[in-house]
Amino acid sequence: MTTTATAIRAVRRRRGTTHTAGPWVYLMATILVAICIGPVLYIIIGGFRTNSQITQDPSGWPAPWVFSNYGDVLVSSEFWLAMGNSTISAGVTTLGTVVLGVMASYVIARYDFLGKGAMYSLFAAGLMFPATVAITPLYLLIRNLGLVNSLAGVILPQIAFALPTTIIILVPFLRAIPKELEEAASIDGTGRLGFFWRMVIPLSLPGVITVAILCFVTTWNGYILPLFILSDESLFTLPLGVQNFASQYSVDTARVLAYTSLSMIPALIFFSLFEKRIVGGLTGAVKG
Amino acid sequence: MNARKTWLAALATASVAAMALTGCAGGSKPADENSLEMWHNSTTGPGKAYWDEVAAAYEEETGVTVTMVSVQNEDMDGKLQTASNSGDMPDVFMSRGGGKLADFVDAGVVKDLTDLISDEAHTAFGDAAFAALQVEGKTYGMPVAVLPQGMFYSQDLFDEAGIAEEPATMDELNDAVSKLKDAGISPVALGAKAAWPAAHWYYGFALRACSEDTMQNISVTHDFSDPCWLEAGEELVSFAATEPFNEGFLTTDAQEGAGSSAGLLANHKAGMELMGGWNAGVIADLTPDGEPLADLGWFPLPAVDGGAGDPSAMMGGVDGYSCSADSSSACEDFLDFIAKAEWQEKYAEAYNAIPASKEAQAAVTDPLLQEMMAAYNEAGYMVQWLDTLLGQNVGNALNAAVVETLAGSGDAQSIVDAAEQAAARG
Amino acid sequence: MTETATLLAPAGAARRAPARGDWRKRGEIALLAGPAIVVFVVFVILPVVMAAFYGFFKWKGFGFPDDFIGLENYISIFKDPTFRSAVGHNFFIVIASLVLQGPLAILFALLMNQKMRGRSLIRVLIFVPYVISEVVVGTGWSLMLQDVGALNSFLGKIGLDALAQSWIADPKIAMGTLMFIISWKYIGFAVILMLAGLQSIPEELYEAASIDGASFWQTQWRITLPLLGPTIRIWAFLSIIGSLQLFDLVNIIWGQYVAATAGTSTMATYMYLNGHLAGNYGFGNAVAVVLFLISLVVALVYQRFALNRDTAGALTGDGGRKKR
Repeated sequence: MTTTATAIRAVRRRRGTTHTAGPWVYLMATILVAICIGPVLYIIIGGFRTNSQITQDPSGWPAPWVFSNYGDVLVSSEFWLAMGNSTISAGVTTLGTVVLGVMASYVIARYDFLGKGAMYSLFAAGLMFPATVAITPLYLLIRNLGLVNSLAGVILPQIAFALPTTIIILVPFLRAIPKELEEAASIDGTGRLGFFWRMVIPLSLPGVITVAILCFVTTWNGYILPLFILSDESLFTLPLGVQNFASQYSVDTARVLAYTSLSMIPALIFFSLFEKRIVGGLTGAVKG
Repeated sequence: MNARKTWLAALATASVAAMALTGCAGGSKPADENSLEMWHNSTTGPGKAYWDEVAAAYEEETGVTVTMVSVQNEDMDGKLQTASNSGDMPDVFMSRGGGKLADFVDAGVVKDLTDLISDEAHTAFGDAAFAALQVEGKTYGMPVAVLPQGMFYSQDLFDEAGIAEEPATMDELNDAVSKLKDAGISPVALGAKAAWPAAHWYYGFALRACSEDTMQNISVTHDFSDPCWLEAGEELVSFAATEPFNEGFLTTDAQEGAGSSAGLLANHKAGMELMGGWNAGVIADLTPDGEPLADLGWFPLPAVDGGAGDPSAMMGGVDGYSCSADSSSACEDFLDFIAKAEWQEKYAEAYNAIPASKEAQAAVTDPLLQEMMAAYNEAGYMVQWLDTLLGQNVGNALNAAVVETLAGSGDAQSIVDAAEQAAARG
Repeated sequence: MTETATLLAPAGAARRAPARGDWRKRGEIALLAGPAIVVFVVFVILPVVMAAFYGFFKWKGFGFPDDFIGLENYISIFKDPTFRSAVGHNFFIVIASLVLQGPLAILFALLMNQKMRGRSLIRVLIFVPYVISEVVVGTGWSLMLQDVGALNSFLGKIGLDALAQSWIADPKIAMGTLMFIISWKYIGFAVILMLAGLQSIPEELYEAASIDGASFWQTQWRITLPLLGPTIRIWAFLSIIGSLQLFDLVNIIWGQYVAATAGTSTMATYMYLNGHLAGNYGFGNAVAVVLFLISLVVALVYQRFALNRDTAGALTGDGGRKKR
């Protein structure tokens, strides 16, 4: 038993192939990263300039380096308040979406029943209607539920809007778990729900993490729903907080660049924490 | 084993649901005698501070609490619309008259203020200011500022190009344009990306070409058969043919920070800009030191040969505030309160704009504003922004058509056609 | 190759007839899928149906619509040449996105699935464009690509003035600019999906292949790619729908009015311009319904030809292992 276990562990470490990346790969990676990050750096560095600098010399370095944009944002209480609200909103939405999404995907992927196709199509159809148009009737609905001007009134629709993508991505992942495992589990007497709880969730982790990341990032940046549903400034999320830097007629571009550079940090942290976990899956599941 | 798993799953679902529903619910607002909600568009700066001061002072005097909500300018219309649909209209809200206000009136969500405005306000403001906020002869709002259109320019750049006097006719303007070009300066900054700044040129030409009656009645008749409309388009096309606008004007924003047309003027990268009265404040935000542009000058729209319009006529907008149909009487009291000279003067200072109240106008010290006020008071007549006058449907189509013409895929006739088509549709 | 072949051979999905406990099964379905369905129907389906309803009216957005005009809105939409060109743009974007992003993302995911230093960091950095909100992406790219923006200014500084273009407003290159920006933003999304899909491929297959002496590229071509099939098809589906719905990027960089002259208008910008901005909300809602129907048709066609293979369980590994 131990030899097999060691063999499994050794194999697991060399994920993918036994091939180590050659210099060409590093070159390609560097080019891709440069293209991806270049514009982002422009945005970040733009935060260290004033509007006037940007107008006079669009492609120049900050001259002088202006720290007040970042500084003012970091000390403003509205920023941290908005960051807190965004975290709650995105966090609870992600949790809700993942829980509801995994459960529904499991049903679609592994149960056999009349109406399965219809259920899948129902969710897929939700992707196809531009959300901006549905906002007026949605607002009315939220108001009738008494949830207007509360984070719950934002979180629930966000979960609903995130479900289609989640389910579309998760269904193939859940389907890929071999039937033999399910049969083995049922022989052991755990039944479908037990199978779900004990094996499905750990095995579909790559898919679950992926949809969690996508949901978190999309929600983090969402501004239409909060814009229409929240009117109390103390509930504003980060995308709405930008308003503080746009006056009646004009926009303080440099400060907006600083503000948004800072806003993306939590989402990036979330991503880098979880992307390492997009591994595992069926490793060693079948052996022995 | 199974029952436990099922129970756990149910518990998970229930706790998520419970967590999500614990947000406190915001109910709808009753027409409370003791509180008002007001929406304005100053999200930051002295404007916001002004309204907070007003709210505090009003509460002290009358005991009525006023909750100020600041909404970004671009989002105001959308939010008002959803609010009106759900009965959540704020008691006091910003309105600018014209077709948009008419839509509100049609929907029955605005209070008729004709008999509710105090006599003092009437005398202090004069009739012209109220005209902008009237629909079919009834008044639906209290004006707070007058924002006439004109040419803002940089005296330094004019000096550099050797332009001695402010242009008073189109010929002189064209002359100034070529002098600026010779000096290597972009003559006119134009933020055509948002369409309305470009359309302002068309409105200006229309103002000069069309008689006063034609202009004032267009909001009701929506009839563009008068040849003056085509004439205005032709003036626009020939002006644009001299290539007076800054490079890349089609993708230049009007006022949005760096790289906008106001920014160009603020950083001496363009000579002049045709814009409404608020531009001084916008430019001030975008200068290298964040202070008002020291050499900023202003002159009214030049006269155009052969037009049926009065060469001294001006176009402009009026900022005002209206009451929602089911607000309490505290609303009109509040409007009368802010119409007082004291608050009008403070408004003028906070917004760097011309107050609607004639009494308060005397207190304005800014030389630029004084020039604007002088032209405003001497104007033969004032017409509202054409797109506001025409309402969103036709106004939007008109603006879009002007941009297409400037981009080279339309001509003078297509502008008139677009307006007519939209009018037929609307 | 025998080992590998055996492992890959699809064993027909053994269907077990639902035994007794039919009610229990229904109960489980209700319990598991119920909450998602309830939330979804209430917050998405209901508003969408109501919005579609408004499309039959001429409505300025206030109060309940009362000017029923039936299909008039829809007829004007189809008669409008601006709409037709917007549809054309959308389909171009659909195809171009698939072609530009797909192969690159797959290639990258395959290469980055190997052992390499800094792999995590590279993944994070490639994902950054996706994390930034579309609004800021729009503002940033606007500043960079304006005629007097950073790119042209930079080209001027290094003496390549001649290359300076009107990246945004010139109809000849505007679409290219748009495709570049879209690809830039969404390549991270594609890569992360592919990476997740790669994790589902069982280790044993690679071992078997290497025992059989296959090279890296042979392994990728014969084993990895086919098994990545379902993931690729899912990504393509999401990409197609996303391309059809494209709005924010175009709206912010081009503005609603210039998009048409620059040849980058989409159905969604058309909807916004002629609906929301013109105050014709009934018309706008009608355009939304048309956009929905077009997306639906595309999705159905795609399902029929591409995703059906997966439902049959052929290559997802569903029951693909024989015990020996």
